[in-house]
Amino acid sequence: MKIGRYSLNAFTIFLAGTIFFLPLLAAAEFSFRKPGGKGHSFTNYSWLLQQEGFLPALGTSLRLAVLSGALNLILMVPTMVVLNLKAKRYKSIVDFICILPLIIPVVSLAIGAQVSMPEFLQNTEYELVFFFVIVALPYTYRALDSAISAVDIKVLVEASRSLGATWFATIIKVIIPAIRSGIIGSLFLSFALAIGEFTLTSLLHWDTFPTWTVVAAQQNILGAIAISVFSFALAIFALTLVGILAARKKNQNLVLENEEVE
Amino acid sequence: MAKQRASSTLKLENVTRSFGTTVALDGLNLTVQPGELVALLGPSGCGKTTALRIVAGLETADSGSLLVNDVRYNDTAVNDRDMGMVFQAYSLFPNMTVAENIDYGLRARKMDLPKRMKQVRKMLQLVDLEEKSTRYPHQLSGGQQQRVALARALAIEPTVLLLDEPLSALDAQVRSQIREEIRAIQLELGITTLFVTHDQEEAMAIADRVGVMNKGKLEQIDKPTVLYNEPATPFVASFVGQANRLPATITGKGNVKVLHQKISLSRHSTDLRDGLPVEALIRPESITLTTENDDEATQGLLVSKSFLGPLTKLGVALEGLPIIHINSQSKDVKSLEIGDRISFKIVADEIMAQNV
Ligand SMILES: Nc1ncnc2c1ncn2[C@@H]1O[C@H](COP(=O)(O)OP(=O)(O)OP(=O)(O)O)[C@@H](O)[C@H]1O
Ligand SMILES: [Mg+2]
Repeated sequence: MKIGRYSLNAFTIFLAGTIFFLPLLAAAEFSFRKPGGKGHSFTNYSWLLQQEGFLPALGTSLRLAVLSGALNLILMVPTMVVLNLKAKRYKSIVDFICILPLIIPVVSLAIGAQVSMPEFLQNTEYELVFFFVIVALPYTYRALDSAISAVDIKVLVEASRSLGATWFATIIKVIIPAIRSGIIGSLFLSFALAIGEFTLTSLLHWDTFPTWTVVAAQQNILGAIAISVFSFALAIFALTLVGILAARKKNQNLVLENEEVE
Repeated sequence: MAKQRASSTLKLENVTRSFGTTVALDGLNLTVQPGELVALLGPSGCGKTTALRIVAGLETADSGSLLVNDVRYNDTAVNDRDMGMVFQAYSLFPNMTVAENIDYGLRARKMDLPKRMKQVRKMLQLVDLEEKSTRYPHQLSGGQQQRVALARALAIEPTVLLLDEPLSALDAQVRSQIREEIRAIQLELGITTLFVTHDQEEAMAIADRVGVMNKGKLEQIDKPTVLYNEPATPFVASFVGQANRLPATITGKGNVKVLHQKISLSRHSTDLRDGLPVEALIRPESITLTTENDDEATQGLLVSKSFLGPLTKLGVALEGLPIIHINSQSKDVKSLEIGDRISFKIVADEIMAQNV
């Protein structure tokens, strides 16, 4: 029984690994091939860097992604905290609203939402930030919700307040640290989605890294693969960075703690 | 440790609070003397938590006053009240160690570091968790977590200590152990304490006085023994301790007829009319076994017998009545067996009755 379960798990991991990593490894290998010849080199990557518009497109996407992440946090963290503290009965409504972006086709979202945007935003690429936050909502909401549900935030706040802390101190020292995993997760999701979003951007005729990629890829198949490997590496890099930042905070606490008590 | 500060008097005067159409508190009056531990006991929904939260400032009263040392506290903000609160569970800050949790209230008071360190160490000692100071809450057992919560609440040297069912998430053995620890610490510090529970054994064991609440009001507040032996209302009689409810009739002149006996009615039983059927409340230990030829005896069939050390609980079945519970000395009922016909009678100077 136990062995059967173990080998089933092992098989699942193996299968998932194969499906997930094999194509990635293959793509990575492919991206280093010399065009038209044998052997490996960085040719495709240097081609990538030389392409017109590569850096500006990447810059635009990074800028939009950072703003999306920020807007997402500004919008969602207070909403979720207030929802769980003061208005739990409205949770099912918010739950539903936050799933809507998955149900509504991106095309209707693009057209409908564009019309409702204020004029001055319609004329800049920053309108995309708002759309990205909306499209990411189903994921960012879940990430925050699961982190908040894991702690009893109401009790924590009441404990903090009754111990004499102000609201501001309670938010900084109790609420945010308690749901940090959710904040980081939601930040990463909105960032990643903004970096990779194609359909909406293309429909609204903006140029970002993904739309630039599609155009560039048409000329050079090996270059296109190099681009996708590059994007993936970028995502992994961002994920690791966030992970490191999250981990470091904890160690600092421990040190401070030892100094204080011993 | 020496007493922390001159203990405070806590007073609630005519406090009311409604949520929509639900009346949670309906004119609650309560005084807790300096250094006293009062337990609030009552059925679910009777307003215990609401009362405690109003004292803590986490809830506001619709009307009435809250006084600490005769100073009105109604409009004092939660974080200015200096009250220590211990919650049911999961109230420790998960991102902070045990020591940081205890330190939290001190930091909020902007105490300097050496003082804080000293106080944290003192509190860790008090709850006997010195070796766990660098642990995080999730690395502690439920009992240890509640001890940290207590230390955290006491660290700020509160005027009043408030506990809302602090033991209900713990299993039975740990529960009674921590209960004794809380009581020992409370006595040591001489801190005025309000302890909410729906567990009567807990209330009786820990408190100087127990306040029994019903529907947003205090029915009776007194020492545990008085509550048990001289309940002021039928509600208290049936809520505190076990009671058989037997059909009875009022026979006039303050007497009540129950089974084959006539016994005087407790003066606390009010609103009862002669001749009408009522319900008599009789404690299991107020019934004793007797002989068949006793005039007052009632016969029944022994249907259950559980041995609890010095005490044995008997269950007796009678036609048309619920099972009657009797508590007897084990040595007196050794020879009885289930299925035996037994004779018993009520031995009480007066009994309490209520309308059915
Ligand atoms: N925030 C609230 N909103 C609406 N109704 C409430 C609220 N808090 C309490 N109530 C109602 O007020 C009444 C008293 O509640 P309270 O929590 O004080 O009871 P309790 O005696 O602590 O009960 P328990 O033993 O179950 O904890 C209940 O009927 C409850 O439903
Ligand atoms: Mg309660």
